Amino acid sequence: MVLRCPLPELTAALQAWHEDGTGLVFLADPTTGDEWSDVSKELIEVFRLTRQTLAKGLPVVFVVSNDDLLGRNGPGRAMVATGILSAARTAAVEHRKSRVPVNVIAREDGTDPEVIARWCGLLLEGEAPTGELIHLGSEHIGKALP
Amino acid sequence: MTAVVTGAAGGIGQALCRRLAEAGHAVVAVDFSPRLEDVVAGLESNGVNVQPVQADLTTASGVEEVAKVTQAMGGLEVLVNNAGITRDSRLVNLGEDDFEAVIAVNLGAAYRLTLALIPQLPIGSIVNISSRAYLGNFGQFNYSMSKGGLVGLTRALAQTLAPSVRVNAVAPGLIGTEMAMGIPDDVRSKMIDAIPAARMGRPEEVAELVAFLASDASSYITGEVLVIGGGRSLSR
Repeated sequence: MVLRCPLPELTAALQAWHEDGTGLVFLADPTTGDEWSDVSKELIEVFRLTRQTLAKGLPVVFVVSNDDLLGRNGPGRAMVATGILSAARTAAVEHRKSRVPVNVIAREDGTDPEVIARWCGLLLEGEAPTGELIHLGSEHIGKALP
Repeated sequence: MTAVVTGAAGGIGQALCRRLAEAGHAVVAVDFSPRLEDVVAGLESNGVNVQPVQADLTTASGVEEVAKVTQAMGGLEVLVNNAGITRDSRLVNLGEDDFEAVIAVNLGAAYRLTLALIPQLPIGSIVNISSRAYLGNFGQFNYSMSKGGLVGLTRALAQTLAPSVRVNAVAPGLIGTEMAMGIPDDVRSKMIDAIPAARMGRPEEVAELVAFLASDASSYITGEVLVIGGGRSLSR
């Protein structure tokens, strides 16, 4: 499994849960700033790792912040989060016939890394849904639908 | 007051210039393409006066050029980020140059121009032209990501610029522009078959929605994405 995860506690949980797993887990960098160069760098990383993973026919899970999807943490992180969601949907469309799942998890601040890791595992399975946005927590209820 | 329209040489851009001028705005028409000159001449022959600025908005100098023009015109009330390009390919075949070009023009240029013009926009409206492809569209990983990014930009700015500036996004589906007419006839025909409205949209219909969002008629709407796609988001 390729792990792109800037949060050490989540990296540890993912490694513990999915030592033998395959696919890509990409966590949007929570330190991305509002400079265009930061945003561009992060989106290019998404492109490279996603293309590389899907070329091998392996599943992809992105993890973004629910607050970022709603634009609460500034434009840089918002552009990355919503850009990832749209790109994930397109990647899912392109790989639906080959049944390779591509999904996005929206986490809240304070979501238990073990819970995120467990959901990543479910979404890396061949029978997983695809093109979905899974919200962990309840803060999204009553807010904008991405 | 002044309205800036980027991507003004394209089909939707021209309709935006016409409609915003009709609403009483002094329109600054921005485009990278040398075609802008002919487009402006065509608009003027139809009684629509615009101030053309040929500029590459992926560069700092291009952005500065637009900011200088609007400054000289006494500030800004409306900004429509409409410029966009496509470089379509399945993700596994998509080259890095094509990925970066689309992201830089569709998202980066809109972001940088917006940041540069915000100081001149104390009160008003920003409309970002996203695309229905932000919901996902085969062969458009780069385009879809860029248009999704515009949705995030819209939401973030709607909060930071409130209450004086409203920020919304419009997501057009298949619109009868030169870009759409470049799609092979049989493919375009199948695409139209999947649209409940049974036709392509017209650039003027997109312009009408943008004019609404730019006007006081939409004074309580901000941070929203309005899809204008003839019902395509519902059909198979």
